Amino acid sequence: MDSLTPAEQRELNSRMERKQMKEFMTMYSKLVQRCFDHCVNDFTTKSLISREESCVMRCVDKYMRSNERVGERFQEQNAAMMQAGSMAGR
Amino acid sequence: MSFLFGQRPQPSSAEKIAAAEAEIEMVSNMFNQLVDTCTKKCIPPQYREADLNKGESVCLDRCVAKFFEVNVKVSEKMQGEAAQKGGAGGAGGGMFGQ
Repeated sequence: MDSLTPAEQRELNSRMERKQMKEFMTMYSKLVQRCFDHCVNDFTTKSLISREESCVMRCVDKYMRSNERVGERFQEQNAAMMQAGSMAGR
Repeated sequence: MSFLFGQRPQPSSAEKIAAAEAEIEMVSNMFNQLVDTCTKKCIPPQYREADLNKGESVCLDRCVAKFFEVNVKVSEKMQGEAAQKGGAGGAGGGMFGQ
């Protein structure tokens, strides 16, 4: 890959920022969907019962932590793969 | 515009940015796929506690490792089949050739 000039890098960075915003919104709506599906099944009341509410809180926590962990492992694997690739290419 | 004959034309700014963006997009898509599939496989929908327990943590670690391995194997196999069809000696087989 040719290296980018500072101006090109700035453009790439601003696109990446927009993309990250979009990804965050996607993750957020996926999370709401997931926690609602798994935690809220009682429609005898109009507002969340305490069981549902604490389930949702735990669901969000758990999801964020697993996201983090997968991210860490992903970076490790990706780095290892890059290294293997650059060695095999010789 | 290069006036020196015999030189490869320089990619334009837009092309370079697009190429970088496409590469990042590819990695990012893979990550999202990975997160989706591993949380589905490893995190049961009960949410008894907020922290990941040991089983879930180990499951996630292994899931990521296996996902990458599958990625590599599929890539190798497809490169192998393409080389076969192309009739060429399958030179190198790319990044993951043995």
